Amino acid sequence: MLQNQNKRNYLVDFKLYFKSWITTFRGKVTLVCLIGLFIIPFITTNTYILGIFYTFMIYTIFAASWDFLAGYVGQVSFGHAIFLGVAAYVTAYTTRFIPLAFWDFSTSQWVIIGPMPWWITLLLGAFIAVLFGLIVGIPSLRLKGPYLALGTLAMSLILYEIFKMSSLGTLWSNLFPGTVLFGTNGIGQVPPISQDPIIQYIIIFLIMCTAMAFLTHLVKSNTGTIFKAIRDDETGTKASGINTTKYKIIAFMISGFIAGIAGSLWSLRISGVNPGIFQPIYSFYGIIMAAIGGIATISGSALGAFIFVFLGEFLRLLGDNPNITGAIGGFVEPIFVFSIILILIIRFAEHGILQPALERLQNVWDLVLGR
Amino acid sequence: MGIILEVKNLTKKFSGLTAVNDFSFEIHRGEFVGLIGPNGAGKTTVFNCISGIEKPTSGKIRFDGRDITGMKPHKIVNFGLVRTFQLVRSFKYMSLLDNINVSCLSPRGKKIAKEYGIDAYSSTILASVGLVDKARLPPVILPHGDLRKLQIGKALGTNPKLLLLDEPFSGLSHEEADVITDLIKSLYSDGVTVFVTGHVLRELMHLVPRVIAMHQGKFIADGPPEEVANNKIVLEAYLGRGGTFA
Repeated sequence: MLQNQNKRNYLVDFKLYFKSWITTFRGKVTLVCLIGLFIIPFITTNTYILGIFYTFMIYTIFAASWDFLAGYVGQVSFGHAIFLGVAAYVTAYTTRFIPLAFWDFSTSQWVIIGPMPWWITLLLGAFIAVLFGLIVGIPSLRLKGPYLALGTLAMSLILYEIFKMSSLGTLWSNLFPGTVLFGTNGIGQVPPISQDPIIQYIIIFLIMCTAMAFLTHLVKSNTGTIFKAIRDDETGTKASGINTTKYKIIAFMISGFIAGIAGSLWSLRISGVNPGIFQPIYSFYGIIMAAIGGIATISGSALGAFIFVFLGEFLRLLGDNPNITGAIGGFVEPIFVFSIILILIIRFAEHGILQPALERLQNVWDLVLGR
Repeated sequence: MGIILEVKNLTKKFSGLTAVNDFSFEIHRGEFVGLIGPNGAGKTTVFNCISGIEKPTSGKIRFDGRDITGMKPHKIVNFGLVRTFQLVRSFKYMSLLDNINVSCLSPRGKKIAKEYGIDAYSSTILASVGLVDKARLPPVILPHGDLRKLQIGKALGTNPKLLLLDEPFSGLSHEEADVITDLIKSLYSDGVTVFVTGHVLRELMHLVPRVIAMHQGKFIADGPPEEVANNKIVLEAYLGRGGTFA
């Protein structure tokens, strides 16, 4: 019965996995949605419409990174905007102020090639976010449950205040000359990924697909099993011989990396960043999106982000219409509506709407096919 | 045979309350030992100190020639000293297979499990505890007896040398308890040293060849079950002055 399974052909494994995935209803729906998303820029290059889709894809990555940490590892962070903001700042700063250069040994000086390419700044931003994942992760070993949530919330507020300053004071700048902050205006004029909207769209699309596929695969892997065990019973996991400390830090770093990618794309996409990105409201956006789709469903984040971004945009348009705001006042304010939606979701669909929605869709589909 | 576990002058205090007081004993490799005592005697605290869940106030614990006093629980597990809990602990929202997989993914469990493939190895463990037909179900829907079996399965995944079973029979019917008894006996015959607690004497007396008795955190007796059951101090601890076992 037992046989040696050390030799594996990963390509064959992947093909088999893909085949079995695509035969499921969920796989088919995902594929149709992805194809639909992919062809958008070939249908229209309207900046406004593409802009909404950029926001949707970036929020998907961000919400998925929160969902992974909270839903699969059980570490509820209320300061996830830390990773978003730090990576956005690093990306904006390196793109604007640090050119791509190499050290020429023959002349002993820096040779500047040109501006830093976007993908280097993106990775740099994500890696600094990983570093912050470590900084947030280490206190989390002592803090549990609500205290971790409060701790991360406080940390994001601290960063918000720090990045609002334009200088850290003479004491600091004497110690570290050349350190500058950018005050409330932040960094602007960051060049986009590409001037061609189609290329930019496809790049963000591919990054989103990679991030989602990575997270989906991760939570199904052996490491994912350990993460889920930590979520369900930490003491029990220790008693099974697992170093939970190590895995919790790894989880924070992975989540920081993914959220950092979202942050970097964010600053490249809106060509700049300001301290507002550290505000708790962005952390809550991520939580709302993940909760709408369903906590502990990575792909639910995509549905949640879709509803959040498009409904939010629709409400904003309604709010701009003086006839409507005159009639019902400020009740179309997005954050007001989403807070109510969040309360309703928690009360009536605590596992999110992805699973029920897929089941309904399958019923309708079966009906159409006459099964 | 050699000593596998040596506990010397173990003391554990909880802000003024002494739960375990100067407790010492030895277990030899391949032995099958019971730890008895009335409710609140400190059996679980002894287990918690040995397995690293709690740090002892004073005293030494040596396992397999190593000083493990105050070490982190996961390190102790990876030396081969594994415990189960009195209150059933399981990963509620994961399948039984994944529950076992976690143990098989620990550094010690992985050494063996890797050769066969983690899932295949976990399945054989599930089969050996009699849960293989429920491999895909989550623990939340299982009866208590199955959860007790799962606990033992989870411990087996880490390939233990010494197994500490904390009240493996609590909350079970006689039929269920008999199944667990058979399971523990088969483990013992496979060469695992087993150390088991219980506050109900009847089950343990028929199971183990040697029992250690404790009362109010203190050592009171050590020896074959018949001898300990007739020990005057043990009888007093359980039944009060002048009591006897029927």
